[in-house]
Amino acid sequence: MKLSTRKLLDKSFTGYGIFAIILMACALLLIIVPIATKGIQAFIFRGTIEYRKLRLEKFEEGNLKKVNAELKGSQELRKPIYDMIDQFEKDIRELEYEERREYRKELREVKKSLKELFGPAPGDHQPVLWREQYGQTRWDRAKIKIDQVLFFEEWDYSNPDKMGVKVLVDRKSLFKGTSLEPLFAYVEKHAQSILQPKLVFYWRFLFDESFDAHFFGGIWPEVLGTLYLTLGAMFFAIPMGIIAAIYLTEYAGRGLFISLLRSCISTLAGVPSIVFGLFGLAFFINSVKVSESKSVLAGSLTLALLILPTVIRASEEAIRAVPKTYKEAALSLGAGKWHTVLTVILPAALPGILTGIVISMGRAAGETAPIIFTAAVSVGKPLHFWETLSQPTPALPWNIYNLCTEHEAVDEIRHVQYGMVLTLVALVLILNLAAIILRARISKKLKG
Amino acid sequence: MELEQTMNSTADRQFNNLLLSKKALRFQRMSAFVGKTFLLAITSLSSVAVLFIFYFITKDALPFFFNEGLGEFFTSTNWYPSADEPNFGALSIFMGSGLVTLGAIVVAVPLGISAAVCMSDVLPFEVRQVVKPITEVLAAIPSVAYGFFALVVFAPALQNDGNFLLSLSAWIILVPVSFLAVVVLGDVVADRFEEKYYNYIRYGIFVSGGLISLFCLLKTHTFLNSLEITSGTNALNVSIILGIMALPTIISVSEDALQACGRELREGSYALGATRVETIFKTVIPASISGILAAIILGVMRAIGETMVVWMASGNAAQIPKPWYNYLDPVRTLTATIAGDMGEADHVTGSSRYHVLFAMALCLLVFSFCANLFSEWIVHRQQKKLGLAK
Repeated sequence: MKLSTRKLLDKSFTGYGIFAIILMACALLLIIVPIATKGIQAFIFRGTIEYRKLRLEKFEEGNLKKVNAELKGSQELRKPIYDMIDQFEKDIRELEYEERREYRKELREVKKSLKELFGPAPGDHQPVLWREQYGQTRWDRAKIKIDQVLFFEEWDYSNPDKMGVKVLVDRKSLFKGTSLEPLFAYVEKHAQSILQPKLVFYWRFLFDESFDAHFFGGIWPEVLGTLYLTLGAMFFAIPMGIIAAIYLTEYAGRGLFISLLRSCISTLAGVPSIVFGLFGLAFFINSVKVSESKSVLAGSLTLALLILPTVIRASEEAIRAVPKTYKEAALSLGAGKWHTVLTVILPAALPGILTGIVISMGRAAGETAPIIFTAAVSVGKPLHFWETLSQPTPALPWNIYNLCTEHEAVDEIRHVQYGMVLTLVALVLILNLAAIILRARISKKLKG
Repeated sequence: MELEQTMNSTADRQFNNLLLSKKALRFQRMSAFVGKTFLLAITSLSSVAVLFIFYFITKDALPFFFNEGLGEFFTSTNWYPSADEPNFGALSIFMGSGLVTLGAIVVAVPLGISAAVCMSDVLPFEVRQVVKPITEVLAAIPSVAYGFFALVVFAPALQNDGNFLLSLSAWIILVPVSFLAVVVLGDVVADRFEEKYYNYIRYGIFVSGGLISLFCLLKTHTFLNSLEITSGTNALNVSIILGIMALPTIISVSEDALQACGRELREGSYALGATRVETIFKTVIPASISGILAAIILGVMRAIGETMVVWMASGNAAQIPKPWYNYLDPVRTLTATIAGDMGEADHVTGSSRYHVLFAMALCLLVFSFCANLFSEWIVHRQQKKLGLAK
């Protein structure tokens, strides 16, 4: 081969390696950016007058006088809409039966979409579900609903070779020449002044309970459940992990038994997480019966098993990284072995052990499969501390799954799902960032 | 005289004070022994856990094998666990797991290993300090967040603009590859002829090869654009996401292996006049091949044991795609079946429907156990080869 070709191959391989790394970084950005930008909309968004009414009536928050004044203005602007509908209903009574029936059907659609946009019309009976008591609380959702008032969807099958195409049809065309026709122009023009969107910073999204199947309110039960599960798992895993690491580094010999022990620990690290879940169900709940059915306790125990190998490995590495001279100095001063471990080696290895613990905390917080059968439920109240022994809890990872696959109105609550994902990812990333910073400080200390 | 005796006895007494009495000595030894046993007991707990996992999963899996036998489970594709006369043919589910894992490996291995080589041999130290946290963050993102991304962001994109995305990635991959192939081919073939003809033959191959590969590329382009993507939740989606998830594992383990094979090997190769890529391919990678294999195995284990992504975004259809390599069909995997069916099966604890899930878990467990042993053996062998064995 010519030298130039060899050089070209060399360059292109380097380029390929850098391409792979850039691709990886892009993948990370591609995943993080939509989650961050859309997740933040659960906290900061343009809330409508309906939102302020909801906060006032259900959460007793906000300025009563101000909101009432705003509501008054809004209701005045709404009045012509309902007047027009009344007038139209009067008009169609004089029409032929067939025509009347056709108009009625279409009118029902218009009323339904108006109700979704602005809430129940004046004089309607009060619905039970919160989502039907109020109109759109978020301006971004309201804009979609305005489109649904103005247009309706139809499927175009005119080309038999292709799949049906969705076409938007102007609803105005259905009511041409009737008294309802001006309604659509009116809604389009005045929707914003009726709903009065204002920028809201809803920081209580984290600390509110959820209402009406996550349509309103926040994610506090899930956040609290995740905290309980994670802390519970750490409570069991940390002492066991550190003790095992001390034994393996300082006391264990090199026999067959010890190498078997090590193999077992690395096998434990390789067990798929869903198998941990099944084991938790079969052992902690069905056999030992730590609780009647799913509970935070059973979930924490299962998660503790899952992260135990990580904790052991990290602590082992940290203990091994402590310079030998420390130990020798302590022993030469007459300290016993146990004394040396407790007062010299462990404090020196502590930052390293902490790094491992923080990383495995992130892992425990984000794992879903082990808690499906042992701890997680879809809906629940925030638990008191003593209830964790016997009660199941909602948890962030499980509810993310649940809301985006099994919820009855998946599209309506995208912002809640994104908000949850953002909260979970932020929690895990903050823990990992802490670990990275901690490790950088250790390596500086060991260098200097 | 008397004075001397008293002095002696005080010295004796002082010396005796430094020694422990026999009783205290025994006490100290006892406590050291008890302490050590206590430590050992705690340590063994974690390995007892592994045995318990095996025991309890097997205990609940065996009734299934006794009642239903092995044949149907492994060979049939009829998966109707809730029918009146239930069928438990899990072949398509095994196939689904295999397909998805294979796809993940195809995505992750070339990228992961080249990134690892790049990090250990090419990039300067400062850049490596920036790249390392990227892999750590990728590893840290919870699997349910990946699943959410796959279902809510990636699947609609694949469904709406899938043809465009596929042909774009085909262009990005194939253009440089075919260019390099043509250049190298021209060089190698032309080398065999006399000096006189060298340039003619070389350029002849350049032009003809370029035209042929351009033709093939256009064919691929039209083929990819003619594919019909009916649903975004399919095996391809899951494979790509699982590949991204397996990347950090593969990168960090194989980078360790590449670092471990030392400077001397590389310097020897450079001294013989090899370029960097020749050093890497002919010296470094063969020397650390076992570590790289271990990395791949760990990546496979990560992909096959992953639950949330496949449960959310694989479509969950218990069928073998037609033809079997059609990655645009929905599939169903072992982990997703366990996660999805347990909710319904739990109410009938003790039925075949409940035990079959444990049978699947047992298969997963045995697979991961064997893979783990194998990768440990490989790493151990490499350490021995490089003289690092403890």
